[in-house]
Amino acid sequence: MRADRINIPGIVTLLLVAAAWEASVRTGLVTFEYLPAPSAIAVAFAGIVRSGELLTNTAHTLRSVLIGWVLAGLIGGALGLIFGLSRFARRWFLASLEVLRPLPAIAFLPVALLLFSFSLTTELVVMIYASIWPMFINTMGGVSDVASRLHDVSLTLKLTRMQTLWKVLLPAAAPAIVVGARLCLGTTLVMAIIAEMIGNPHGLGYAVVSALMSIQPEQMFAYVLFIGVLAIALNYCLIVATRRLLPAYGREAANHV
Amino acid sequence: MFRRASFGLPPLRGLLPLLFLLVLWQAIDPKGSPYFPPPSAWWTGLAALARSGRLASALSATLTTFFLAIALACVIGGLAGLLIGRSRGARRALGPLLEFCRGLPPPVMVPVGVLLLGYVEGLKLVIVVLVAVWPILLNTASSTAALSDLLGEVSQTFRLGRFATLRKIVVPSAVPAFLVGVRGAVPLAIIITLLVEMLTSLPGIGSLIVISQRQFHSAEVYGLLVVVGLVGFVINGAFVMIEGMLLSRWPPRAGYVQGT
Repeated sequence: MRADRINIPGIVTLLLVAAAWEASVRTGLVTFEYLPAPSAIAVAFAGIVRSGELLTNTAHTLRSVLIGWVLAGLIGGALGLIFGLSRFARRWFLASLEVLRPLPAIAFLPVALLLFSFSLTTELVVMIYASIWPMFINTMGGVSDVASRLHDVSLTLKLTRMQTLWKVLLPAAAPAIVVGARLCLGTTLVMAIIAEMIGNPHGLGYAVVSALMSIQPEQMFAYVLFIGVLAIALNYCLIVATRRLLPAYGREAANHV
Repeated sequence: MFRRASFGLPPLRGLLPLLFLLVLWQAIDPKGSPYFPPPSAWWTGLAALARSGRLASALSATLTTFFLAIALACVIGGLAGLLIGRSRGARRALGPLLEFCRGLPPPVMVPVGVLLLGYVEGLKLVIVVLVAVWPILLNTASSTAALSDLLGEVSQTFRLGRFATLRKIVVPSAVPAFLVGVRGAVPLAIIITLLVEMLTSLPGIGSLIVISQRQFHSAEVYGLLVVVGLVGFVINGAFVMIEGMLLSRWPPRAGYVQGT
């Protein structure tokens, strides 16, 4: 659905939705008690920008997302590499991970809360547990897929194991790994917001919940819409980065949402 | 998509490390710490919850929400996806709005729902449907839109009417992508169901586990974690099986249509 030209009907629809929203709130057409008008949300947004609250909360969330993403990416990537390359690991350990994988990460929050109380550690533990998996699965799939196809090449060229890894396996598995990294980033952001709502009273997730609790609908909607824009911006940055880093695969990888 | 299609089910002996860890945990039994109750204590905690009837009622509340929400999301997402996918104008006009809705991290829908609807019975269901519908809708829409010209010509050759084209060509070719969407929606729906329960304390496993945590009944917390894990495992496994059974009638690779 992404078009390179400016999508005029799309923008018109967005404006129409906003206008209809504004009109229905002003005329009292909708019966939701706490639905603020877009104009009121814009005023509240200006308010949280001016007070610096938005910046502080965004900084916290982005910092934990970055830490969580890097750690989850490294752990998931390393595990994926080991399991993709070693039949032994797949035979003797994979089932244990496959049992843990569908465990909804959110159920770890109470356990993490017990162990680490309301802290950044709680947030990171839950984030990392959830976002290891996309990286793990994609890296393992990518590496083992390559292993069967390009193995003969490295045998013919008499490459050592390290050379095979660096020159054959990793470059060939790169598109899959990049897809994993992108999914991993999305999961980290989602889990960061969940963890901030329940486990670590800081950041954007907590800001939304506390605006809800103190019944400030305008402010809550301002945060919600901002989080949406932030998520899309992060994803877009990664798509652009993917195209730069892997021009040949960028398109293909970008399509695997 | 790079899924572990080449593996199939991993051998069951791979469960041994996990079992070994649990046995080790039981054997060491860190008695000094109230935070690491051994697996036998998890069982005791769960049994107590089960005897009081709280476990069964919470489990049924959570599962009811989940299954109803997935069913509704399939119907709404599938139908809306077909309609949007069939019309180029609708795709273009709704594109940015849909992209935004998909990009919006699902957990923020929970406070929005609570604010607008209040703590009512249907709240859980509405929020979970709102979250689960997007992957299904967008996958169906994009695969319907990407229907190859060849298939369009087939319907012209056979002089199929609009309805017959829809029934015999459009819908069958959208099924694999629809199922990919459902596969994305299932874990999301589980997580959001639990999140709503944790945030609103509406009855369910999510609120039960938070209550146990607040009272520092750590054995119950671990026990419920296992229950949630089993539920997730069974539901995901069942879905993969159903998907495989349905897709066995479709040509291979058809499931690769994905994204927008």
